Amino acid sequence: MLVPDTLQGALLLSLIDFFLSFVVIAAIGLLLAAFPWLDRIAKPDVKDPIKD
Amino acid sequence: MHDQFILFLGALLKQTGLQELWWGNLVMIAVGCAMVYLAIAKHFEPYLLIGIGFACIVANVPGSDLIRQGGLFDYAHQGVNLLILPPLIFLGVGALTDFGPMIANPRLVILGAGAHLGIFVALIGAKLWGFSIQEAGAIGIIGGADGPMAIFVTVTLAPHLLPQISVAAYSYMALMPLIQPPVMRLLTTKEERLIRMEQPRQVAKLEKIAFPIVIAIIVNLLFPPVAPLITMLALGNLLKEVGVVERLSHTAANGVLNVVTIILTVAIGSTMSADTFLTVNTLQIVFLGLVAFVVGTASGVLTAKIMNIFLTKKINPLIGSAGIASVPIAARVSAVVAKQEDKRNYLIYQAMGPNLAGVFGTAISGGIMLALLRAG
Repeated sequence: MLVPDTLQGALLLSLIDFFLSFVVIAAIGLLLAAFPWLDRIAKPDVKDPIKD
Repeated sequence: MHDQFILFLGALLKQTGLQELWWGNLVMIAVGCAMVYLAIAKHFEPYLLIGIGFACIVANVPGSDLIRQGGLFDYAHQGVNLLILPPLIFLGVGALTDFGPMIANPRLVILGAGAHLGIFVALIGAKLWGFSIQEAGAIGIIGGADGPMAIFVTVTLAPHLLPQISVAAYSYMALMPLIQPPVMRLLTTKEERLIRMEQPRQVAKLEKIAFPIVIAIIVNLLFPPVAPLITMLALGNLLKEVGVVERLSHTAANGVLNVVTIILTVAIGSTMSADTFLTVNTLQIVFLGLVAFVVGTASGVLTAKIMNIFLTKKINPLIGSAGIASVPIAARVSAVVAKQEDKRNYLIYQAMGPNLAGVFGTAISGGIMLALLRAG
């Protein structure tokens, strides 16, 4: 076990876990922000027949 | 003749559990009956409490063969011990869940981390109370408000605390409509509670199909200890979103989920025997669970308020508490509290975003905890 079975260990674990949770969730958020691009890539550009 | 009659009666009595009956069994039978009553009369999580309460009653009848090694309830419990049932629950949940609100509003996913401060306050509180660090981690995860995840982490870190932790987690999830609103009102002004949020964009089908695949890759790559749960959640969701395997999606969301729920509730209830449950530890765990839920709710609301300092389009801080997870109860609570202030303020869709992100927040916290606390 990496974390010592002490109060200091509990504090350290909490700090690391809470901080990393924010980092990973924020990274997932960033990834999701890019999701609309998926749809744009998948859909081919439809040219306006009137303009053409 | 008379002596023989007494002898036979004595022998018959020895076959029953009556001689092993003590007041603790009666207390726990009363607890089981109370659970069944709350489920029927008050509609408190009836799908869970009926099974848990009934199995709790049976487990406290001395001499019952069901909970002994090789008994039917013991086999149900093996499904928990071997970590088979919680991932199967997640398969069904995934097949029921629309992740659209989370995909549509990515900036709100941060609330899924913000509302988990309760986990760590409970963890530190448990350590101060003399629990080992593994036990403290398992107790802390009650604050993640996610039943299967609490069971998963507890079975790995502190299996002897499973009955107390699972009962505390599910009970507080059922009681969220009572626990959360006072905390939410205390930490927000009337003006903040009146904030209306614009409707999020429509999410395309391709995005919904890509989401579970991306999540499964991330979780298996970064958090292998909790990968079985989230991978099954992703699989269930993929079955739902692809739209070409309706029978499988329907089975996962109905048949599988219902069967596994019955087995899981019986397994949890069967562990609630008086000699393991009626201890000071149980009261401490129940108290720490409440602290975790209250602090988690508060930290979610406060995270939303902090976000508002930087955002031009303000968010209603009431949706912050939904980040605690407990889908969809916490989102419903946010929507109800907002509606009590303004009858035309419909926040349910916006609250579902952080609510779903909370599931991943709990998984991330649980994954890190398991990685650092697992023996060996």
